[in-house]
Amino acid sequence: MESTLFLAFTEPDGSLSKAALEALGAAVALGAPLAVGLIGAEIAPAARQIAGCGATRWLGVSGEEFGPSRYVTDAAAAEAIVRAAGATVVIAAANSRTNRALPGVAYRLGGAIDTHVTGIGDGPSITRWYYRQRMEAVLSRAARPWVILLEGGCHAAWSGDAGEAAMETVAVTLPPVRTRVTGVRVPQTGEQTIRPDAALLFVAGAGWTKKQADGQTHPREAEELILGFLRKSQASLGGSKSLVDLSGEGQAVLSFMTHLNQIGQTGATPRHPKGLSTCCHGEEPHVVGWRFVTERRAVNLDPNCGWARGKADVLYVADAFEVMRKVNALLA
Amino acid sequence: MSERPVLDVDIACVGFGPAMGGFLTTLARSGLSPTVICYERADDIAFGVSGAVTRARGIRASFPDLNPAEIPMAARVTHEKVLYLLDPLGGSRRSAALRLADRALRAIGLPRQDAVELPYTPPFLRKDGGLIFSIGQFNQWVGSQLMNSGAVQIWPGTPVTAPLIEDGRVTGVQLADMDVRAALTVVGDGPVGAVGRRLNEHFGLPPGHAQREWAVGAKMVIDLPEGVGLEAGTVFHTFGFPEPEIFGFFYVHPERVASVGIFVPSWFCNPVRTSYRYLQYYIQHPCFWRYLKGGALRSWGAKTLAESGRRGEPQLAGDGWARIGEGSGSTNVLTGSGVDEAWTTGTQLGEGVVELLKDGRPFTRQNLEESYVRRRRASWVEEEGRIAGRARDGFHRGVVTGLVSMALAGATKGRLALSGKPKEMPMVSEYYRGRIPADEVRRIQQECAAKGLAVHDALLERAGWPAIAYDGRLLMSLQDALLVGGKVQATPGYPDHVRFVDAARCERCDAHTCVEICSGQAIAPGTDGVPVFDREKCVYCGACLWNCPAGAIRFEAGAGGLHSAEN
Amino acid sequence: MYYHIVVCGGIVPDPLQTLEPVMGPGGPSLKNESMLPAVLDPWAAHALYEAANLARNCAGSRVWLVSLAPKAKLQQVMMTVAQKAPFELVPVDGPSGGFTDPVGVSGALAGAIQTIAGLERERLLVFGGWESATRGAGATMQMAGERLGILEQFQGVDALSPREDGTFEILERIEGGKHQVSVCAGPPALIGWATGSLGEPRNNPQTGMANMRTIMPALQKARAASLAGGAPQFLSVALPAQQRATRVVKDLSSDEIAREIAAWIKGD
Repeated sequence: MESTLFLAFTEPDGSLSKAALEALGAAVALGAPLAVGLIGAEIAPAARQIAGCGATRWLGVSGEEFGPSRYVTDAAAAEAIVRAAGATVVIAAANSRTNRALPGVAYRLGGAIDTHVTGIGDGPSITRWYYRQRMEAVLSRAARPWVILLEGGCHAAWSGDAGEAAMETVAVTLPPVRTRVTGVRVPQTGEQTIRPDAALLFVAGAGWTKKQADGQTHPREAEELILGFLRKSQASLGGSKSLVDLSGEGQAVLSFMTHLNQIGQTGATPRHPKGLSTCCHGEEPHVVGWRFVTERRAVNLDPNCGWARGKADVLYVADAFEVMRKVNALLA
Repeated sequence: MSERPVLDVDIACVGFGPAMGGFLTTLARSGLSPTVICYERADDIAFGVSGAVTRARGIRASFPDLNPAEIPMAARVTHEKVLYLLDPLGGSRRSAALRLADRALRAIGLPRQDAVELPYTPPFLRKDGGLIFSIGQFNQWVGSQLMNSGAVQIWPGTPVTAPLIEDGRVTGVQLADMDVRAALTVVGDGPVGAVGRRLNEHFGLPPGHAQREWAVGAKMVIDLPEGVGLEAGTVFHTFGFPEPEIFGFFYVHPERVASVGIFVPSWFCNPVRTSYRYLQYYIQHPCFWRYLKGGALRSWGAKTLAESGRRGEPQLAGDGWARIGEGSGSTNVLTGSGVDEAWTTGTQLGEGVVELLKDGRPFTRQNLEESYVRRRRASWVEEEGRIAGRARDGFHRGVVTGLVSMALAGATKGRLALSGKPKEMPMVSEYYRGRIPADEVRRIQQECAAKGLAVHDALLERAGWPAIAYDGRLLMSLQDALLVGGKVQATPGYPDHVRFVDAARCERCDAHTCVEICSGQAIAPGTDGVPVFDREKCVYCGACLWNCPAGAIRFEAGAGGLHSAEN
Repeated sequence: MYYHIVVCGGIVPDPLQTLEPVMGPGGPSLKNESMLPAVLDPWAAHALYEAANLARNCAGSRVWLVSLAPKAKLQQVMMTVAQKAPFELVPVDGPSGGFTDPVGVSGALAGAIQTIAGLERERLLVFGGWESATRGAGATMQMAGERLGILEQFQGVDALSPREDGTFEILERIEGGKHQVSVCAGPPALIGWATGSLGEPRNNPQTGMANMRTIMPALQKARAASLAGGAPQFLSVALPAQQRATRVVKDLSSDEIAREIAAWIKGD
């Protein structure tokens, strides 16, 4: 007989993120007896937020030392809650905090964990990607507890009545804590180019920095066009690995591009409803990062690039400098 | 002057292919332990290209218990056939003699699926008891054993820029960031290797020797469709299609995989000759398409072959250096085989070096000639190479002459052959005279140049060849084949390894054959008459080098290229 | 301050290869896996370069590379990796595919780390990639850390900067393209690297030669690992539903293209 624990770390204000509510939706949909576990500096607002979810137990760990996103304290708190709940399936939203701590917790409990899960089905069974989003697997497990970290955007968010929940405080014995979280750092360029919630992903490929038809490179114009587009469209900026690597070769580069912008290969696989690729070949190692971009268009002078071979919906064989100049004018 | 770091070793090796495999295997078994380092340009030792079918005499002498099952994709030769392919499309340029022969064959109903099987395989072509394999898998298998032995270090992704030559002695090699000094430098970098060519330039070829005959071999490795009942070890040798000068092959590996390819030779006097498009017609020839239709491309590659054989042999050894393998003229142009010959020259050098090391004698030219060259001259490689010596000459006069010459040479063990000298390449409009009006040829040339495209596709279609119907699995554009099958990588941090060094020549060039023959479409027409090079598409086949009549192309070593282990 | 840095890294198929899953009696695997050229996992490679850099800056440090992979393939991968940075190889002969489970793999890795002679726990930094390019779970390092009793763990790391007082500052990737900054009191600690900030080092033949002296004997002595525990039951493994029918637009002017793109961006 399965039982489910919905586990979440609260936001700084004590509430739950949208992704956490999606994970709750998935947990509720499993139909098994449900417990809720909340961890954070403050957890009461979260509990009130989801009081109507039908959980029969409410377990909490709160206090200042459980505020920061930190392995030793997060793992200890999560372990304590999972033990207290005695649940067989643990569902949480996948984010940097849960991705860091929960694998260790699954190990401590003698269970198993699946991360980057994109679907939960009957069984339960889960769907996840392997080999950098090149193949998709559906699997089930006998090991328990089974910890499942669900990716954002894969399930409808729970919605329901707020109210009061009867929280049980779970005791946590902390080992010596030797890490202090001191803050958050944003990219030094001052230009915030990564926007996870943007409707459009704009990918700049190495072609922006190569010699154009006049035999010259035009890095400054490339920068202006790209940054201009990002400001007007509020798109999120991605780059290919070759462009990101070029900065190591002393080539003309785009000063605002860092390895954090890299899509595919050793970079990110962000979710956006639309993606526009420019000056990029569309080869598989890069395109694996586009797995969760729904509508795709590309602008490239090469009609035989990878985008033409079924990787994009539309390939415009054209000069990206010209096209983007005109797009920017139209978006003004 | 900045100090370049220097590494000192006993033996520095350039290139890792079958010749170097033979050399290092022999050395590794000697029980001696000189410090031996081998530098290979390609990103992995498994990324070589070849057919390959071989009698494997030298290889089997080194591995008497060789079981093909140990080497992925290897199989014993079981069936062998020579096929004369007629042209079902009518686009090829056949001499009157050949057209007459075709008519006669058709009249007596001999061709099946537009091919005529020769009643027997000429002895010089026969590979009974031989092996089909993937050179990439073979090199990987050999390399693995060598690394296990601890006797040698092999470093892929490490191109050698040039030999170090001081006062007529080779003292080592130059890498990108450092020099490696060695008592002996062994050069096995193939027919277009940069180090081998530098040695040729510096020391000259022996009197009367010239390297004038070449071919580019292009192949696909194909997953055969379900239900195709070809046995592993089946070998087809072909001639006649897509052009009479283009020989082809079809070898069947285990697990329903086939290697299919063609050779586009330098005596095919088409100024806009190309390989990939012709290979696409080849695989669609009725006698092969019945096996290949519905199959999938899994690997693809191209390489240059040295077709001058014994008469293109460079100096084999000097003070501090020795040459082995195809770059040393070991390829037999009559039997069309090179892997085993290369391997054997490697073992011959290995035996010579072991002898010198045991006797404590230095690697002088004289000592290397006595210990290595002498062995080579006394071997079947030399003997068969002499027979093959003039076997290809007849082709300069025409295909029928060439075939007759080969047959003569084979039958008389080289005593008789028909002679010929390389002809000058005609202008493009001249080549298409009678098929396409000259002003139309020129118009097509101008349009393609304006679009930055090669002309061969447009001219072939205008000359009556059909368009290729892409299916995305086996028939696809060359760029798709590069991505799907060739998986070409350009390693960052290296300069362009193909450069055009005589702009005036390029501007005056009519055909820009380099653009047409480039296996990867890495060379495109430039805006001012000088071609442009795209490193990201180059597979290092070296065809550009020998297709330029003016010697206006510099072709160096760089890392990157094919990332396919199955060719 | 010197460190003993143990980098964990597996091998993965060369990124340009065409990959296809096949189901067998033992579960899924890659078609022709043994023939595919392999490279060191890219994030683990970044971890290795960061380790080498840290070791260079902190005199007396040592770097080990622990790798679970089939011996013959690992040997071939070393031909490329050994020229990049000085390290001692601790090989474990075992499977390298992505369908193995983190529980078993972490056991093999932790077990190998525990065999390293002279490893000083108070200097120990365990490095790895934050996930692999095969399994992509991002779970193996944490489990290895747990087995070794290391509770200071960081994932998605781009920078590790030692400070004068023996502590070090860590930058971890968090949502929104930002980094969280933490200060750790000191080793032992476990770092799952993202890409860091160093480029790939150029091949150094001298490094390669020196490394090979220890790598070859280590490979010869490598013991086989059995990956105990945790295998899931794979119900299906498939390549994603195939291609889009790309509309290739060649005949429009850049004005018309720009209009179409702008409309698409603004639209529904």
